[in-house]
Amino acid sequence: MLPLLTGTAAAQPAPATPPTESRTMDMTMEVNGQVHRLALDPRTTLLDALREHIGLTGSKKGCDQGQCGACTVLLDGRRVLGCLTLAASVGGRQVTTIEGLSRPEGALHPMQQAFLDHDAFQCGYCTPGQILSAVACVREGHAGSAEDIREYMSGNLCRCAAYPQIVAAVQQAAPQVERS
Amino acid sequence: MPDGIGTDHQRIDGRAKVTGGARYASDVMLGNVAHAWLVTSAIARGHITGMDEAAARAVPGVLEVFSHRNMHGAVAETEFFAKGGYVGSTIRPLESDRIWHDGQIVAMVVADTLEAAREAAFRLQVEYREEQPAAGFDAAGVEVKAASEGGFEDPEVGDADRAYGNAEVKIEAEYSTPTQHHNPIELFTTTAHWVGGKLELHEGSQFVHGLKNGVAAQLGIDPADVHVVSPFVGGAFGSRGSLTQRTALVAEAARRLGRPVKLVPTRDQGFTIATYRAETRQKVKLAAGRDGKLQALVHEGWEVTSRPDPYKVGGTATTARIYACPNVRTKVNLVHADRNTPGFMRSPPELPYMFALESAMDELAVALNMDPVELRRVNDTQREPIKGLPYSSRNLVGCLDAGAKAFGWERRNPAPRSMRQGEWLVGWGMATSIYPTHIGAATARVTLLPSGHARVQTAAHDVGTGAYTAIGLAAAEGLGVSLDKVAVELGDSDLPPAPVAGGSNTTASVCNVVMKACDEIRARRAQGQQGAIEVYAENVPEGLPPEAIGKLYQGRNALGGGLEGGKQAMAAFGAIFVEVRVHERTREVRVPRAVGAFAAGRIVSPRQAHSQLTGGMIWGIGAALHETTEIDHRTARYMNDNLSEYLVPVNADIQQLDVIMLDERDSQANPLGIKGIGELGNVGTNAAVANAVFHATGTRPRHLPVRIEQLLG
Amino acid sequence: MRPFSYMRADAPKADAAASFLAGGTTLLDLMKLDVLRPERVADINGLALSGVRLDAHGLHLGALARMSEVADHAEVKRHYPVVAQSLMLAASPQIRNMASLGGNVLQRTRCPYFRDTSYTACNKRNPGSGCSAIGGVNRLQAVLGTSEACIAAYPGDFAQALVVLDAEVEVQGAQGRRRMRFAELHVAPGQAPQRETTLQPGDLITGFSVPAGAWTARSLYLKVRDRESYAFALASAAVALQLEGETVREVRIALGGVATVPWRAHDAEAELRGKRLDEASATRAAAAAFASAQTHGENAFKPELGRRTLVRALLQAKQMEA
Repeated sequence: MLPLLTGTAAAQPAPATPPTESRTMDMTMEVNGQVHRLALDPRTTLLDALREHIGLTGSKKGCDQGQCGACTVLLDGRRVLGCLTLAASVGGRQVTTIEGLSRPEGALHPMQQAFLDHDAFQCGYCTPGQILSAVACVREGHAGSAEDIREYMSGNLCRCAAYPQIVAAVQQAAPQVERS
Repeated sequence: MPDGIGTDHQRIDGRAKVTGGARYASDVMLGNVAHAWLVTSAIARGHITGMDEAAARAVPGVLEVFSHRNMHGAVAETEFFAKGGYVGSTIRPLESDRIWHDGQIVAMVVADTLEAAREAAFRLQVEYREEQPAAGFDAAGVEVKAASEGGFEDPEVGDADRAYGNAEVKIEAEYSTPTQHHNPIELFTTTAHWVGGKLELHEGSQFVHGLKNGVAAQLGIDPADVHVVSPFVGGAFGSRGSLTQRTALVAEAARRLGRPVKLVPTRDQGFTIATYRAETRQKVKLAAGRDGKLQALVHEGWEVTSRPDPYKVGGTATTARIYACPNVRTKVNLVHADRNTPGFMRSPPELPYMFALESAMDELAVALNMDPVELRRVNDTQREPIKGLPYSSRNLVGCLDAGAKAFGWERRNPAPRSMRQGEWLVGWGMATSIYPTHIGAATARVTLLPSGHARVQTAAHDVGTGAYTAIGLAAAEGLGVSLDKVAVELGDSDLPPAPVAGGSNTTASVCNVVMKACDEIRARRAQGQQGAIEVYAENVPEGLPPEAIGKLYQGRNALGGGLEGGKQAMAAFGAIFVEVRVHERTREVRVPRAVGAFAAGRIVSPRQAHSQLTGGMIWGIGAALHETTEIDHRTARYMNDNLSEYLVPVNADIQQLDVIMLDERDSQANPLGIKGIGELGNVGTNAAVANAVFHATGTRPRHLPVRIEQLLG
Repeated sequence: MRPFSYMRADAPKADAAASFLAGGTTLLDLMKLDVLRPERVADINGLALSGVRLDAHGLHLGALARMSEVADHAEVKRHYPVVAQSLMLAASPQIRNMASLGGNVLQRTRCPYFRDTSYTACNKRNPGSGCSAIGGVNRLQAVLGTSEACIAAYPGDFAQALVVLDAEVEVQGAQGRRRMRFAELHVAPGQAPQRETTLQPGDLITGFSVPAGAWTARSLYLKVRDRESYAFALASAAVALQLEGETVREVRIALGGVATVPWRAHDAEAELRGKRLDEASATRAAAAAFASAQTHGENAFKPELGRRTLVRALLQAKQMEA
């Protein structure tokens, strides 16, 4: 038997000092070319800042632990996970979300169009992260073969399992994304 | 140009999904929303003896700590869904100090921000008095009951034991399948908002009318005062079919606080606040003559469930009826343990039970020295053997032929360990797939405007299945218009009710009622009616009692069809062929290619059907090689409750995957001849993988998932 | 997550009261789980510690270089393949873009009892409380370097490459900068599993130096895992070889996925030096590598898998063109 379990956070007793007063800090972030000035709890992640405070809900929360890739955004053009990025740490850098990839009523980005053409999603929940990851995958030079695409798209789980269709979509869009 | 059933078309909801415009439940922005965070039990059995809320309440921004102290009596007891109710678990958290399972909700903290709610949840100190829990099959204290005690009919015909004793060739083996969790990528979020005494719920759902009526019953309010909004669902796979207990708690919190409350549970909480696929153990005995014809089939299963709820997997209902066999005996046993209640997960009965049967068929083929495809062929039948009902249509042989040809099966050397490529042992395996064809009562409103634009409204659900597109295509065909002129509204309880998105019934149920409405519109136009024409149609499929429509309006399950009832057996079939590679030293198993051939009635939207079937097959591969929930048997707690250690396939795991959809016309199943395909692809795929592993290595995997440690010997 | 104050560090200096934030992939994860509760978070991403440089002496890596930069670096791939491969085979592209090398080597165990604070018994998190993994769910936990106090596996990959190439680590401490052998950074659990490294509070890793050697080009990292990508190692082997014909002139071996710390297999190396490298000698070396293994139920397969992994890695390295 294990020692008797007690408490949900019994590992370390709660500190005797009361919690510090709720405080916010001022931060600035540029998202899809637009500058946002926010006063947020320092604990706010980039993902929660986008979803709860800026209103850009295209970036999804699937695990909040860096394990599924649904929150993938581009930070200065590189793909990162919004759930493991502190909002306070992105000041001065450019964030691109799915909403910034094409204009609302305009033509789709070639990667978005390719996902649509190949039915590269089902429920669609992981799709924004997949598409941003795919754009970065091409720009990194990791879309040269189906094998490369499979490997370098493996940070984005798709529980509906549209993987073959995702590979086909990346292959279709790659030449256009490389030129852009 | 008019579109219709069979038109290859992109998803009509696709643009919203690729632009981030699709609004899932937790994407709804409400003013003044408060954030909820769950605290879940650290023990699996016992009682809460104390709760120190001071530190939690002291966190700035905390509004309330809900627990059994202030929520007792708030949520009414309701029936288990399988007994005609709504809930997937009758265990009511926050009702008392009693703990029934690991991860049971013991408190819910609500705060102005999610950061404050999370901090306070971790500061809440809960004390327990723990009792030794029973985690599963081998634990002391489990209670085993025959499923027949709860009304389950164990299919049986002839004298299987005598036939087995007399047969020339026979095999007997035990198999097991593990606990699995759906893990849709969208978390089990709920946002509740009261407006003028009416409750608005934003929650991903496979049954909005069930959710509406169920929550109303739990909270003691009029179902007309509940509005469920669920136009997009981030994966479901059965996990969002029955009502979970969290919904009423969030609604009650919002009512008391007078503010919208949004709950986004964590990934690990999703393992215990919703359902899962129960682990099974199975014994199979097969006997045949030298010609391969089955003479006896004995299939017995044991399935884990919770203490209070008799959730039943019951896959013998299918395995008893798939092959021609004059002597069949089956039995299902429920093993009640200190666990949360399991539930439907993609192909709930067939995935585990067909794994055992199709593995056993492979073992029998080896014992007979017969090709496993041939063994399925000689045991094909157009009548199920238990009651002798005719199949409405059945083209398993066509699937076997087409799949074998596409795969190149004739080049297989039957000897185990006979094929290799470099350092990799190569194995080829196959299995049969089957999924019963279900259909339910459904309603829809179809409107045709003078401009030629149409609108279809029905509370069906697109959980990634392509229902928007399929239903749109049916309407396009029915009205003779192009798909871009059809608007489809789904996933809202204010719409005319449609059945649960379960049992792969949606396309059949909804397209048939939509077509009925379209027929009426066409008839009225032919009679000279001018202007906009709106028709509200109800459909009770043949074989269902008239009261099925009333049950639907109450949000209760009312599906018919399948293999057991009525005058005929209805099912879709498939044949799965898989190549595996197993490293000769380190024994990693990889799947470089697979072929699935399916005969599944009329295919309504081919592009999305193809995706459903490939996705299903990948689920089968994951079930064979990766997916298992690890349980600490001392504490009855789930230990790999995250997506790093609960492994599902990633992109690199899937290489070549081919799906063949055979043309099949079935005028008997339903007027449009539609069979369900959402769950067909993963049935049998796990067995095909395991059979391929045997062929590659000579080691017979009987316990899923097949991992390296099983193959090192 | 407990409240903390956030600041940006403007110079590499020791800060005993702060947790350093680089990629955040471990720190934020464990803060969300309430395992880590720093009062101050010092964001070090603005520091100039990100260079990757090769010269005649070896390979020099800044602590803030990201995993992906080094994994994709053409010269590193050519001259130090074990380094590039260990990074490439770890985590996901997004995490490799975020995670720094310094943070990578300090990543914490994935032992579920460590990560779940509702379990009281974890000596690493709660000294003296016991070890829940012994007798529990431990398929992924260690068989080498364990103690009765802790069997938590070191989960990383890159550290094995550093150990196998005798790298040095550079540390900024309260008393200034110092260098030490990377192999001396991690410490096996013994009776004090809460202490995982020889770093002092406030110490900041600033970089790594990998000495040049005749064996670095013929080196590789072999990682065996349940799925094809994005999974922790069940067993891994980092090997570096210098051959004369088929005879082993020098060999370095490190093991991952099976040990509590990045594990250098000196006994296995001794079995091979001066011998012809073939199936038989590789098998003897693998046996030596796991001679001290101790298993705990679910992870009973790991010594056998680890031996096979090492044999495969050695024979594969022999086939390399270097």
